[in-house]
Amino acid sequence: MSGSSTPKSLPSSGQRALHDIKHPLSCSPGAEEEAAAGNGADVFDTPSPDLPNTEPCSIGEKDLSLPNGTPADTSSPASSSSLLNRLQLDDDMDGETRDLFVTVDDPKKHVCTMETYITYRVSTKTTRTEFDLPEYSVRRRYQDFDWLRNKLEETQPTHLIPPLPEKFVVKGVVDRFSEEFVETRRKALDKFLKRIADHPVLSFNEHFNIFLTAKDLNSHKKQGITLLSKMGESVRYVTSGYKLRSRPVEFAAVAEYLDTFALKLGTIDRIAQRIIKEQVEYLVELREYGPIYSTWSGLEGELSEPLEGVSACIGNCSTALEEQTEDMTEDFLPVLREYILYSESMKNVLKKRDQVQAEYEAKLEAAALKREERTLVPTDVEKCQDKVECFNADLKADMERWQNNKRQDFRQLLVGMADKNIQYYEKCLTSWESIIPLLQEKTEPK
Amino acid sequence: MGDGAGLREAEVICAREAMSDHREPELYHAGEPESDVDEESDGLAGSGEVTDENCLLKKLEINVSEAEKRTGKNAVNMQETYTAYLIETRSLDGQPDTQNSPMDSLWRRYSEFELLRNYLSVSYPFVVVPPLPEKRAEFVWHKLSADNMDPDFVERRRIGLENFLLRVASHPVLSHDNIFTLFLTQDNGWKEAVNEANLQVKADSRLKSLNATFRVKNPDKRFTELKHYSDELQSVISHLLRVRARVADRLYGVYKVHGNYGRVFSEWSAIEKEMGDGLQSAGHHMDVYAASIDDILEEEEHYADQLKEYLFYAEALRAVCRKHELMQYDLEMSAQDLASKKQQCEELATGTVRTFSLKGMTSKLFGQETPEQRESKIKLLEEQIEEGQEQLKVQNAESREFVKNSWLEIERFKDQKNRDLKEALISYAVMQISMCKKGIQVWTNAKECFSKM
Repeated sequence: MSGSSTPKSLPSSGQRALHDIKHPLSCSPGAEEEAAAGNGADVFDTPSPDLPNTEPCSIGEKDLSLPNGTPADTSSPASSSSLLNRLQLDDDMDGETRDLFVTVDDPKKHVCTMETYITYRVSTKTTRTEFDLPEYSVRRRYQDFDWLRNKLEETQPTHLIPPLPEKFVVKGVVDRFSEEFVETRRKALDKFLKRIADHPVLSFNEHFNIFLTAKDLNSHKKQGITLLSKMGESVRYVTSGYKLRSRPVEFAAVAEYLDTFALKLGTIDRIAQRIIKEQVEYLVELREYGPIYSTWSGLEGELSEPLEGVSACIGNCSTALEEQTEDMTEDFLPVLREYILYSESMKNVLKKRDQVQAEYEAKLEAAALKREERTLVPTDVEKCQDKVECFNADLKADMERWQNNKRQDFRQLLVGMADKNIQYYEKCLTSWESIIPLLQEKTEPK
Repeated sequence: MGDGAGLREAEVICAREAMSDHREPELYHAGEPESDVDEESDGLAGSGEVTDENCLLKKLEINVSEAEKRTGKNAVNMQETYTAYLIETRSLDGQPDTQNSPMDSLWRRYSEFELLRNYLSVSYPFVVVPPLPEKRAEFVWHKLSADNMDPDFVERRRIGLENFLLRVASHPVLSHDNIFTLFLTQDNGWKEAVNEANLQVKADSRLKSLNATFRVKNPDKRFTELKHYSDELQSVISHLLRVRARVADRLYGVYKVHGNYGRVFSEWSAIEKEMGDGLQSAGHHMDVYAASIDDILEEEEHYADQLKEYLFYAEALRAVCRKHELMQYDLEMSAQDLASKKQQCEELATGTVRTFSLKGMTSKLFGQETPEQRESKIKLLEEQIEEGQEQLKVQNAESREFVKNSWLEIERFKDQKNRDLKEALISYAVMQISMCKKGIQVWTNAKECFSKM
């Protein structure tokens, strides 16, 4: 991306390196650094103050100011740094530098007079200094997650926010309180928070912090409302009809890629569902098929045992199939769904980016009309340009992250699918092999 | 017997190695009746050698080697299409150069097989006559054609017909039938011979019409049980076959839907960089997976055919029971007739009427018979009674003979059934094992591709 292919900083030692880079947005890097170096409270006191000010530096500033924890963190934020940072990110992802662990578990059903809902326990363990305590445990419901995601979208418009599971399941009437539904959702919510916690920028977001720690989230929820309306203005600055003069190739390619990607995942999702349906029907037949051998066995003398053996075998295979189908439903489909939603999120960010660029281009044009001399570009245009570049940088880094995650996730998912099938066949194989001696031995003694 | 068992064992192994060999089951069937005969003679091992030597299969090699579609005119001069089967025979008359003796061959169509079987079942009422393969494809699942001219169906029927001939040829009783030999070797004049020999065909139709109506007073418990067993066997096997067809249908679906992954992985791979190659080749393995089900299920049809044979055997078993019932019925009717004649005779002789009868009434109203009339009546009745007693004796002897023969036959059949079905179950298990192994192989290959992504 931006020409700032400066020496990449190492996780541990190079924390200053990032600040030496002339970030497109950083008008006065020093000042921010000081502010950032202060403490986490900084972030808390000014809930996403940057955007509404339309201060071009704000986005970047935030990024820079965030890593005020351990030195390692300072170097890791990818948002504003070059593509080269990607490699480092990978290291961070896999490595020991993770210092924020979030899990979602223990769903509980709440029945009030007004409504019935599920809460989940959100447990946090961290060494980060922004947190007062090393451990937190709060209960949150879906709405709260939704609030968090909205907040993240508002305050980090340049970043790709992981998707939440669908609010309502599309397929017919699903019991929202059924064990399977709650468990599937719990897994998705867990994944959602883990993705944020692993993100070098999003994990430092103040709202995320609040979400993880606040005893009473509702009071925080009320505060945010005014912000939202301001946000809207800036995003809607340019009408959607505007055609960008020069959308960077990589973004155009990503948009195209996402369309196909979502399409293919949709197909895979349908295939997987169809397979599950076929397997369920196959299972129904098997469940009828096996016992017939038992019935037959009741009629026979010498054949009784072999027939009973076959019946048991079919029973074992049915059980193995049922497990395999369950695994597919629980583990395979949700990942596909998450990535389908992810591509939606990505498209939204791309749209926002286009809008920011459109805003810049419009201003540039207006300025060009006003003064031909061109020697001085007005500062607000410059700011806009910075904003675009900053957005590009953040988004590119997130896209890289996303690509890497995607590759890992799908490798794991598909290898898992193959494994499950192998296990299924192995169970059946063992069962059938075990009855061969039973079938053969009786032929001899006569 | 030890040898025989060893041989079977060897065949099982053979079967596992050459699962796809269609001809294997018949080879097996051809070999197995050797020991059936053992059972027939006295149930002890090794003593059946003599009968064994005599059975037709030892003297004649029999194959149904070809099927051919033909068109011809039927009885009403209508154009019809049918399938003819080529029966090849080769004499094995103990000569060392048997291999070189020439093949005889002739064509027969299904209806002629039916005629043969009908003839056998009428001529040998105590025999559980081997059934013919199904006339129309039954218990089919969607992929199988129910069309009688379908090449797969014709091929399975060819195998079934050959199996039928081999079963008859190795049967201790049926194999000695002359008409059967003519069926195999005499192209012309066979039908005429059947018609001549088979004067009892009517008896068979009588059997059918009586079947539902007559009730035997003193049924033989063994036959009642056997009949019950054949009913249940028939119902359980037909249920099994019905569900198996559905299972096959679903399994086919599961595999074929996986084939869609093949296409979508390949399309997806086009837009991926690092993941592309892995996806592309994994897609290929999914295609392989989807295609593998065709062979698996084709093989399984042979298992279904083995079961079907016993489904039809149940009917043959029941036919024996019915014939016994009919015989018992005739016997009871004769006995009843005799008893009533004896009573009449006694009444006339003593002049007393034990039961109120119309006859008694009329004789009272219209005066007594003359002593001469009575004498001649008594004489006639006594003659009839003697005749009836003679007939009853013969019928009793026949019935005893029937029971004895049919019971031997049924014992033989049970052994054959146990052996055959066990083999069928083994081959079924072997099929499942090979399916599992194929599945593991394909998914292992796919996994390798995925893990390289």
